[in-house]
Amino acid sequence: MISPALIWTIATNTVREAIRNKLLYVLLFFAIALILAGALLSSLSYVESERILQDIGLAAIRLFSVAIAIFVGVNLIHKEVDRRTVYTILSKPLSRTEFLLGKYLGLVLTIWMQMAVMVMAFAGVSLATGAPLTPTHAAAFFLTGIELALVVALATLFSSFTTPMLASFFSGGLWFVGHLTRDLRDLGAASDLETVQRLTALLHRVLPDLESFNLSIEAAHGLPVVASDLWLPLLYGGGYVAILLVAATALFGRRDFR
Amino acid sequence: MSRESREVIRVANIVKDFRPGFGLRRKRVLHGISFSVCEGEIFGFVGPNGAGKTTLLKVLMGLIRATAGEATILGCDVHETEFRRHIGFLPENPYFYDYLTGREILTFYAKLSGLPRAQRADRVALLLGWVGLSSAANARLRTYSKGMLQRVGIAQALVHDPSVVFLDEPMSGLDPIGRKEIRDLILRLRAEGKTVFMNTHILSDVEMVCDRVAIIVSGRITYEGAIEDFLEGDQRESDVVVAGLRPETGVQLEEKFGASLRGHGDRIEVRTADKNVNPMLGAILEAGGQVLSVTPHRVSLESIFLSAVEQDRADEKERER
Ligand SMILES: Nc1ncnc2c1ncn2[C@@H]1O[C@H](COP(=O)(O)OP(=O)(O)O)[C@@H](O)[C@H]1O
Ligand SMILES: [Mg+2]
Repeated sequence: MISPALIWTIATNTVREAIRNKLLYVLLFFAIALILAGALLSSLSYVESERILQDIGLAAIRLFSVAIAIFVGVNLIHKEVDRRTVYTILSKPLSRTEFLLGKYLGLVLTIWMQMAVMVMAFAGVSLATGAPLTPTHAAAFFLTGIELALVVALATLFSSFTTPMLASFFSGGLWFVGHLTRDLRDLGAASDLETVQRLTALLHRVLPDLESFNLSIEAAHGLPVVASDLWLPLLYGGGYVAILLVAATALFGRRDFR
Repeated sequence: MSRESREVIRVANIVKDFRPGFGLRRKRVLHGISFSVCEGEIFGFVGPNGAGKTTLLKVLMGLIRATAGEATILGCDVHETEFRRHIGFLPENPYFYDYLTGREILTFYAKLSGLPRAQRADRVALLLGWVGLSSAANARLRTYSKGMLQRVGIAQALVHDPSVVFLDEPMSGLDPIGRKEIRDLILRLRAEGKTVFMNTHILSDVEMVCDRVAIIVSGRITYEGAIEDFLEGDQRESDVVVAGLRPETGVQLEEKFGASLRGHGDRIEVRTADKNVNPMLGAILEAGGQVLSVTPHRVSLESIFLSAVEQDRADEKERER
């Protein structure tokens, strides 16, 4: 039986750790500085200055959130084992699965809170410069939030069995490739070779397709979105996260803490 | 302790191999460990550094998997979680989230242990008092000393009032006062009828509190039983310090009582078997000597460990042949 109360105890404590960690404020500071720099840059340009502002702002939010997600995510489990804080925690009536899910949930909440601060900075700058804010912006942030949950799950999976160094390498690499798999599949489909077609289609199916969470072009151009633009990626992201977490708990559950 | 009392910890033929690195040869750290601990007992698991004490405790806490064998606590397999409501664990050199305060960390562990919300604050305050951390309760653990962390470790192990407590080197890193406090705490746990399992490499800690011990050397149990039997199994000796002893009397003591003499100027230390002490004292006084002190000589743990390690090496050679 999985106890939501125990998971919540671990999750809230993980959030508290992040709130008390000065390094994260530094990262957040840089992200907001970049959003403000976007405002400055856009004021120098005469054409489409609002678009430049929002392009830079959206990119800054995505990049910094992913960097924070990977940076914190890969250390999440490793630090607990390395500093042996797991010893006492796991001696309590709490399963390893509950512990891992709690850490995951806590980190996702942390990243979302960070993102919320960036989004507020973005909205403030947009309002101040008169750039439009549309429902598509909200949709774009929502999907970025799902993408972040997936990236955290990737980092958690890798961090449950390898070093932070390798885990950040793998998670960062997969995040990068995840944004290319769709293009790769389309390129492959145009190929004459059947093996290339098959391979690129398989890669697209197995690796996360992170472009499905990208609405930044629509947001910057103020294009409308429909409901399925939201719930299909939500379903896809949720399913992917579930699979990653099942794998992570299986690996974490068998580990020796020595 | 009655023999019928309930078995609380059962360890049967536990074997643990470590693979030091990828592709390296396996190293056997525990060679089939078996023992059991009954309800209300204070059990000492004693051995030199590297004997495998922590490894066995990690198996019991479900932190590592035994290569072979079976371990149960309160009748449950050690990999279950529910029974942990009734156990407390103090790891070796414990470390905790250092961004929390003493009160926060204990509240956190109280929640994990399933302590009802209504009891939490009172229980945490009570334990902070027990381990003498009340005045530091609102300081972050980052600012705590090693001894204070050890106290936090003990408090978190007891916060949910467990019936079985596992302590890994509970006295390590503590000053003499701290050690005495821990001893008193263990005695209090015994008075409350709790079962205590404790790892240590310091025999004097064990002597004062434990009902029963198991001695582990190089991953094998070499002795299990009451501590008195262990210490008194061998012939016991005493050291008698005398002054004003004439050389011919010394020779006489050596011949008559099998005594061994060590001189420090006028003061001479004479060691003899306990049964010879009284007649020897008479002889010394008769010869005009002055008795300064009589001290029972304890078999030191070091000598026991050393002989056990030597025995182990000899066995190893035997097996290799
Ligand atoms: N993670 C590990 N990998 C390989 N060997 C280990 C590991 N941990 C402990 N050992 C070895 O196991 C033996 C027992 O260690 P330990 O249980 O910590 O001893 P003790 O607690 O009695 O001092 C030692 O020889 C140690 O070198
Ligand atoms: Mg040890």
